[in-house]
Amino acid sequence: MSLSSRMAVVLTTVGVLAGAFLSSIGHLTKERIALNKQREIEKAIIQVVPGTSSNQSLYEEKKLTIYGGMDEEGALLGYAIHATGAGFQDEITFMLGTNIDLTRINSLAILEQKETPGLGAKITNMESFLRYWENKDCSQPLSLRKPAASSPEELSPSEINTITGATISSEAVLNTVNSSLVKTRELKEDGKLKLEGKNAR
Amino acid sequence: MPARTASEDFTKGLWKENPVFRHLLGMCPTLAVTNAMINGLAMGLATTFVLVLSSLVVSSIKKLIPSQVRIASYIVIIATFVTVADRFLAAFFPPISKNLGPYVPLIVVNCIILERQEAFSSKNTISRSLIDALGMSLGFLIALLVLSAIREILGSGTFFGQQVLGTWFEPWIIMVLPPGAFIALGILLGLANKIEEKSKSRR
Amino acid sequence: MPEKNNSFIIQSSPHLREKDSVPKIMFSVIISLLPAAFASVYFFRFRAALLLFSCLAASLITEALFLWLRKRPLRYLLDGSAAITGILLAMTLPPSLPLEFAIIGAVVAIGLGKQAFGGLGHNIFNPALVGRAFLQTAFPVAMTTWIPPAMIKVNTATFATPLGNLKFQDAISQGTLTSLEELFWGNVGGCLGETSALALMLGALYLLLRRSIDWRIPVGIILSLSLFTGIFWLTNPGKYASPLFHVLAGSLLIGALFMATDMVTSPISPLGAWIYALGIGLVIGLIRLFGGYAEGVMYSILFMNAFVPLLNKYTRPRILGEERKT
Repeated sequence: MSLSSRMAVVLTTVGVLAGAFLSSIGHLTKERIALNKQREIEKAIIQVVPGTSSNQSLYEEKKLTIYGGMDEEGALLGYAIHATGAGFQDEITFMLGTNIDLTRINSLAILEQKETPGLGAKITNMESFLRYWENKDCSQPLSLRKPAASSPEELSPSEINTITGATISSEAVLNTVNSSLVKTRELKEDGKLKLEGKNAR
Repeated sequence: MPARTASEDFTKGLWKENPVFRHLLGMCPTLAVTNAMINGLAMGLATTFVLVLSSLVVSSIKKLIPSQVRIASYIVIIATFVTVADRFLAAFFPPISKNLGPYVPLIVVNCIILERQEAFSSKNTISRSLIDALGMSLGFLIALLVLSAIREILGSGTFFGQQVLGTWFEPWIIMVLPPGAFIALGILLGLANKIEEKSKSRR
Repeated sequence: MPEKNNSFIIQSSPHLREKDSVPKIMFSVIISLLPAAFASVYFFRFRAALLLFSCLAASLITEALFLWLRKRPLRYLLDGSAAITGILLAMTLPPSLPLEFAIIGAVVAIGLGKQAFGGLGHNIFNPALVGRAFLQTAFPVAMTTWIPPAMIKVNTATFATPLGNLKFQDAISQGTLTSLEELFWGNVGGCLGETSALALMLGALYLLLRRSIDWRIPVGIILSLSLFTGIFWLTNPGKYASPLFHVLAGSLLIGALFMATDMVTSPISPLGAWIYALGIGLVIGLIRLFGGYAEGVMYSILFMNAFVPLLNKYTRPRILGEERKT
């Protein structure tokens, strides 16, 4: 066999064998990886829409997915808004839970962020940031309290406290929350956020 | 002079030819994922998996591969095992897979692996290649663990996630950020050179 | 080349070749820093004195330790450069910073910023700023927590610097922008050395008259920052602060007068000095107006420090008789 044909045969064989091996590995792990992702989303939905026993994806676009959280009878409990927006270092992804009228925020959960540890990364901290999102009035756009108020009692029902030293990260989350709420409200008014099949499951 | 005995094959990776401290290979994962010990351990083990299996395959088919296409073949073989490691972590250890991010797929360009195929596995027997791969991997793993221990203890006050420094300690956040990796690695390399210099002058 | 035979060779700054003049220059720098140091003690009382003392002591001890480790004579300690690094570092720290952090900063400044490169004359970056950059990244919260000067009584939980006010609290539209007068006398929050513009200028005047520092550098920095911020101010004074505010606020003056002019880390030739200074001013303007931080003096000086070897290489004055390159 000439050298060039030997080269071709060897490379092809190596490639085909590797490909076959990988496709079987991919097949074996595919379901599990998908399941991991789904579980993470489900966990977050249950966290922000308390009492959820099942959920349904109602709307999906590139950086915004809206889930409906439902109780055991299949009645809608609230919306879980899964959104991604620009942060200080990289994008921040969160899950925001609201009531069915989109007037009240249940709570916020940060799912992915790469903010500065010790500063911007405090957006994942209950004490310094997340607690300010619990039971907030969102019938009007939320605003940021700058400089940070020393006690939560000073804040108005639609005000969020700034993390000291991390104004930009706090603002980034707030802006994405506000814009995703506006979008969700529009979709709801257009009647695009309907559960499929009445009392499904 | 190439090492002769099996124990020399194994131990040279630990210090004399340590990929990180002596050869400065594989700097990308070394700097990028050593912000916590669990990440350093996972990266070390994933690299071990890829290096050992690649060395096994390369040393067993070395005679079949024409030298003109050897690099291409090695890369395909390495990439295969890297993908396996990546999928495995994503399926069974999702938090670690998330922490390591793109650095698991990037093992494919880790110079340690290709260098061992080119310099050792393609010229030596299967058993010697395996021993060499294990030694090199262990050397790499130890280097990652030392670096990540320094960075995690100073940067978070923890050791494998367990609080070791009291509440009085204010973590040096810089140590878990990229500059901390460069500073810590620089100091370690300086120490390694000093030790090497000392042991050389004694010889 | 056997290094042990070399006696104190300085590579990058030929005007320092005369060994005797190093301590003299360093001593005059220390004198020129005194007005600003006294001002900081006046405004922040005991805290400022403590910070100055601990940085100074930690710098000297670290320097001595490294000289001993590197088997260099301890008399190098007397050249005063470590003392200057310690004082300058303290001047860039917030008065409320815990002392142990200040000490860590001084150890890093001398150890990593200077001795790791080979000691005085070999460091690429200003050592005091290396120490500060380390602290800024290591302890970001402590490094951005400010207390008001002793003579101001406030009730808010946090106190912002004039620049922080401008950037994060919309000071212009709120009408709370610090007045130029206060900036000049120094009755504002900030690092030890960024309070009184007057004290800094007094000290620097002495250095300039003695020709210990290159006048082109502070002039160039102030010029390019004023130009840059001036353009934005003229287009929209309701959003951007005036150039004079930018020059007097924050650590611009201490940076331009005392840090950018460090002989080891600034260019030798006049042309190089101009390029270096204009670059610093421009980067400060970019960071202050569009960056994520309120203040950018430290990063811009460090950034331009990195270009100094390159500037020295390409702006070397033509030797008499040397052919002009076309």
